[in-house]
Amino acid sequence: MKNSLRTALVASAAVAMFASTAWLQAQQAPAAGQIQQEGSIAPQAAGQGGRRGRNAGPAEPTPKLADGTVNLGRVPGEKGIWNLPYITNMAMNVIDPATGQPVPEIQAQRAAQAAARGAGGGARGGGGGGGGRGGVKSEPWMPFKPWAAAVYDYNSKNESQYDPEGFCLPPGGPRMFATPYPGEILQLPEQKRIVMIFEGGTHIWREIYMDGREHPKGDQLNPTYLGHSVGHYEDNGQTLVVDVVGFNENSWLDYFGHPHTDKMHVVEKFTRPNKGTLHYVATVDDPGAYTKPFTLAWDIPWNGTSELSEYICQENNRYLNRLQDDFGQPVFGPKQPGIKPVKPAGGTK
Amino acid sequence: MRSIFLRTLVLVSLLAVPATAFAQFGHPFNSPYSGGWGKDNANRLLLDTHWDGTKVTGTINSGGATLNVTDSTFDYSDPSAWKVTLKAEGKDKDGKPVTATLVGALENIGVYYKIFSGTITQGTQKGDFVVTRN
Repeated sequence: MKNSLRTALVASAAVAMFASTAWLQAQQAPAAGQIQQEGSIAPQAAGQGGRRGRNAGPAEPTPKLADGTVNLGRVPGEKGIWNLPYITNMAMNVIDPATGQPVPEIQAQRAAQAAARGAGGGARGGGGGGGGRGGVKSEPWMPFKPWAAAVYDYNSKNESQYDPEGFCLPPGGPRMFATPYPGEILQLPEQKRIVMIFEGGTHIWREIYMDGREHPKGDQLNPTYLGHSVGHYEDNGQTLVVDVVGFNENSWLDYFGHPHTDKMHVVEKFTRPNKGTLHYVATVDDPGAYTKPFTLAWDIPWNGTSELSEYICQENNRYLNRLQDDFGQPVFGPKQPGIKPVKPAGGTK
Repeated sequence: MRSIFLRTLVLVSLLAVPATAFAQFGHPFNSPYSGGWGKDNANRLLLDTHWDGTKVTGTINSGGATLNVTDSTFDYSDPSAWKVTLKAEGKDKDGKPVTATLVGALENIGVYYKIFSGTITQGTQKGDFVVTRN
């Protein structure tokens, strides 16, 4: 009897472990946008799939609100969430805004990678090419200022060990739409505002003011992770344009560690070319870190069968307890005595 | 005695919370630093620096005078230990011109607890300094 009980417990544990492993793998599986970063930026008509199921069949028409404005959320009576992709390196999603296509250098890199694969090379993304931890030199189209280039190389060298999102701090700017958890856009025309809610990225939300107000000026503009957003519609109500300023400096642009400053100004454009696709375009102008603006784009697939669920990043985050700085001191928690700790033998960590 | 201990404990707690909460990943000198210089770091050294997109601005107070940063140079050849020079000018409490030059290395760049250490020269005085990001 005891043996039966033990067997049952072991079996239950095995099932639980298998289920949790499968769930974790599903959480970490590349969504449509992650494939984009290694392949081409998907055309607007693509993106019918998603982590939580797929929408089969031909693209359904773009849903509209009662006044004809594009509906960026659910159709009444239906479920649905945007399956935000996992984009680790935004530099691979830089487009020429005039054409909507990747900048020529990215196209050339991808062509070379495709040729290498065709020749049996098998290279894909994460080596020297494709911005895959190649640091600044692998992304010559990125207009880094010298200090930003140094910071990016530093983050590349230590493999993003200080990524603030790993501390469960919120993503800032476009990274909110590249953190692979579902999100929703709630248009509230009667209240002249839009609320975007995100399951990941510390379970956070954004408010976009649609009442014609301007950004606060001077000290009235309180720097925050997500900034201050004002929006309006263009293209006869088919494009939502959001202007964002007032970012703090507590976040990175992406997992790879592209830095930004509090001078960052982002203009986002949201379109929904069909029911299953949200096309996201963000122009980043940060004169504190980059010599000129650049534009990012990717598609976000709709999942019509899912709803948001609870996810708490901070829960059991053991990474923070283990994290050490370049001198081997704990980043969070008591430090060794002395202002400047002695570097441990073996160099930096 | 107990009162001093409790006061110190509260102060340390208050300092610890913002240090954790306000990570900063923009330009490393877009933030204040504090520490000391000279023997046993006995002289207080405060940097209230900002990054305006092209250069470092702000003030350096090495004790007795608040000097305006007039020049900054960076060598990024080692991304994990930048070589930094900051120059500042101003007047002392007697109205005499004072210049200060800090030459050193900026390390621990990826975390809020950044460390800038090296040599400070102010007038005829010279000594080692260490400041950490507040």
